[in-house]
Amino acid sequence: MQAVILAAGEGRRLEPLTDVRPKPMLPIANRPLLEHVVEAVADAGIEELVLVVGYKRERIQDYFGDGHDWGVDIEYAVQSKQLGGAHALLQAEPLVDGEFVVLNGDRIIESRMVSQLVEAVGGDDDVLMTVTPVDEPSNYGVVELDGQRVVGLTEKPPARAVTSNIINAGVYAFGAEIFEAIRATETTGELAIPAVLQPLVADRRVRAVPFHGMWLDVSYLWDLLSVNAAVLDQQGSAVARSARVHDRATVTGTVAIGADTRIRPGATVLQGTALGENVNVGANAVVANAVVLPDATIEPGCVVRDCIVGENARIGPNTTVEGGRADVVIDETFYADVRLGGVFGDNAALGGAVTAEPGTVVGTGATVESGSVLAGHVGAGAEVRRG
Amino acid sequence: MCGIIGYVGEETALPIVATGLKNLEYRGYDSAGVALQDGHLDVYKEAGEIDDLVLPESSPATCGIGHTRWSTHGEPTDLNAHPHTDCSGEVAVVHNGIIDNYEEVRAGLEERGHRFESETDTEVVPHLVEEKLEGKGLREAVTAAVEQLEGSFAVVVVTADHEGIVAARRDNPLVVGTGEDGNFLASDVTAFLAHTRQVTYPEDGDVIEVTGDGVTVYNDGEVVQRPTETVEWEAEAAEKGGFTHYMLKEIHEQPSALRQTLSGRIDALHGEAALDISLPTEYLNSLQEVQIVAAGTSYHAGLYAAELLERHADVRTTTHVASEYEFRGGRDPWRTLVVAVSQSGETADTLDAIRKAGRAGAKTLAVTNTVGSTVTRETDDTLYIRAGPEIGVAATKTFASQVATLALLAVYVGRERGTLPSETASELLGSLRGLPGAVQQILDAETGVRETAREYADGDAFFFIGRRLGFPVALEGALKLKEISYDHAEGFAAGELKHGPLALVTPETPVLAVLTEGADPRETLNNVKEVESRGAPVVGLTSRADARRFLDVAVDVPDLGVMEPLVANVWLQLFAYHVANEKGRNIDKPRNLAKSVTVK
Repeated sequence: MQAVILAAGEGRRLEPLTDVRPKPMLPIANRPLLEHVVEAVADAGIEELVLVVGYKRERIQDYFGDGHDWGVDIEYAVQSKQLGGAHALLQAEPLVDGEFVVLNGDRIIESRMVSQLVEAVGGDDDVLMTVTPVDEPSNYGVVELDGQRVVGLTEKPPARAVTSNIINAGVYAFGAEIFEAIRATETTGELAIPAVLQPLVADRRVRAVPFHGMWLDVSYLWDLLSVNAAVLDQQGSAVARSARVHDRATVTGTVAIGADTRIRPGATVLQGTALGENVNVGANAVVANAVVLPDATIEPGCVVRDCIVGENARIGPNTTVEGGRADVVIDETFYADVRLGGVFGDNAALGGAVTAEPGTVVGTGATVESGSVLAGHVGAGAEVRRG
Repeated sequence: MCGIIGYVGEETALPIVATGLKNLEYRGYDSAGVALQDGHLDVYKEAGEIDDLVLPESSPATCGIGHTRWSTHGEPTDLNAHPHTDCSGEVAVVHNGIIDNYEEVRAGLEERGHRFESETDTEVVPHLVEEKLEGKGLREAVTAAVEQLEGSFAVVVVTADHEGIVAARRDNPLVVGTGEDGNFLASDVTAFLAHTRQVTYPEDGDVIEVTGDGVTVYNDGEVVQRPTETVEWEAEAAEKGGFTHYMLKEIHEQPSALRQTLSGRIDALHGEAALDISLPTEYLNSLQEVQIVAAGTSYHAGLYAAELLERHADVRTTTHVASEYEFRGGRDPWRTLVVAVSQSGETADTLDAIRKAGRAGAKTLAVTNTVGSTVTRETDDTLYIRAGPEIGVAATKTFASQVATLALLAVYVGRERGTLPSETASELLGSLRGLPGAVQQILDAETGVRETAREYADGDAFFFIGRRLGFPVALEGALKLKEISYDHAEGFAAGELKHGPLALVTPETPVLAVLTEGADPRETLNNVKEVESRGAPVVGLTSRADARRFLDVAVDVPDLGVMEPLVANVWLQLFAYHVANEKGRNIDKPRNLAKSVTVK
């Protein structure tokens, strides 16, 4: 059995972090989302993986290579234009043979979900679809079931039209016929897998495989913090051997600390924090519920809470990101009362004593003058001067 | 400069030898060949790439040897390809290195009636072995045969009717692998890493007998024990993982390679470089000179390091092209440290230089990527650059890791000598720590590099200019371009332009200028204006906003102090790659070149 993992997408809603890396490479507990998926697949006993890559694919290829470190063989198929999941899957056609599993590279799942699906393969069904209950079904593809038969599939219905809390988990088992079905589906742009499945659902040829367990989706920046904390909680703390935590620094709660990261005297790192490789946390800084990417520097005296710090970003001394809840606008959509202290894009450089109000999003490579007060959006490469 | 593989054991030898050759391809590839032993010898050999070598579908033989050749004596033809055989066709030999006295030996053999088919130095070996085999075992015959040879070599011999393989090593790389289902011989561990990680490195003068049951090493006729080591590299780490070329893969690996290089070696709190070397403080204090010996890209890394050592460790430092090196000029060997920089640790020119230094009595230090390589055994101490395996012939990530390692050495020596204040050391170490992130920024902007490469790919020639730390980078940028795109490219010290090379500059010769910190950008900008007034387009790599208006293409280099030129170099690597790709060159296997040059 082979697995095809779709990892070509860009993840625009996660800007600025996805300016330089594809969404599947966003870190959860210091490991890319995609690595959690690859591991789940490998743990389910599947050894041949096809990764469909596209946007910023070098990052993925550089990280996973040929899969040896995960005990699997990885081959790559390239989707050069991001034209949806079904189109991405089509790129894998020359590399698959017989029945195979399809997953998204940016959703954290349990390996049990994959093994359960693999066991269910067989019988006369064309397609197996894993379904799972969620709290807010209207963000996903809502599934109507008749026994094990999928009889309805509605993408992101308005809340009032939701008929069940069971959704399509985006994990499928297909045979080679799916490629014909994709080619037969008319499209004027992006083509998603659910659109291809509609006629099959209508013919009652899709069987549901129900799953109850961990299924975590990172749609928005604040999800990165909550999913990170949830996964840390589940997996427990992990501190790299080459990390250096000073005797007079405090590290409590479940945290992940990457290789060669240094935590200076008096610094405090609290619950829900993942510090990537080669991060510096300066003396007396406080970092809580934060995702800090590799090579970032948090200078002495900072308070960084509910915050995402991009790769190689610098948070100047005594900067305060107080954390908490805020209203945030992403891609012209308004999201009320989300927990997001701030996001600092890769290579952003803050001077000293900057204050960032909750919900601040600073773009890639922006520079901020000492003493500035930040709120709302700061564009990529912008220079913020103290007003 | 060639690649050798040998296998004897329970498995069928053909697939093992064939993949082994494939993995060794980077060492040379103008011809290849295989000999399989199965009660008789079958030899297959051809000029051309390994993929083109016609081999049988399968063979029951469980013992075989193979070779990829990079010509030194005799052109790449089918006849000159290895393995070479004796008159009877019952002795087959593959060989790496050069036999200096082969003409004399060959004349003697011809007088005694041996017929030669090729122009190679190698062919004397099977004929010699054939003679010595009378009344002797294979090991004794090989021992006697190599006694008559002068030069540097690793030879591997099989015959139709002796069990196993016998090899001999003198001044040339050879490694033995012991596996569960058989044993291996190769010029590089990558040839058999997929099968075993247990390796032994024979020493000069050793004769090695390998059978399916075990490996016995002899020296001067006595059995000797050589320690077995475990290799940590993943064989698969050496595969391309979705990238079109190893070179591109390795360029993209630089952030993680640099993190590996620096891991655990930076103590920014105290401003110290934590290096695992034993150079006593008193010795470092008494030093009058550091000499760096290296070749090619490593030489450029040496030039970069020399500037850092003089600046920060306050010790006179000279960098020498290894093949030109002599220890003389009134130097005091007790007060001279000679540093050999070699990715493979097998570069013959560099080994030669370090031996000269050692003979003169100087302390020697190796800076290499390869654990257990010859240079580590021939120097007093070793500093590993920890960049991971590099397969692309054009060195990329190892340059970055070499410079970073040597910069750590500069901090180490500067601190030990008390010439580098801890504050400055902390700043330098901070710049080193920032390297992975800064390099990643250049990689993230690859699309821009590709566009620039496309725009200027048709230039008549390319000139790279820089000062101070920008000069070695200019040389390295030019070397990468000529290696893989075959374009005429030269690196100049920017100030030297007006003393001659300026005559070459035309509107058709793009100029690439290193205008970063650590490279005296203000002065170099004047040279930029010189070439612009001759109509040449200028690509400038800079962290200074004020330089942009003088440039046709301005490339932003992140602020990183004296490490900025090294970051700029990554852009130049990508530029060379994309120019070569635009022209459809064979990037991982540029013509006439081989990865580590083990001939002088």
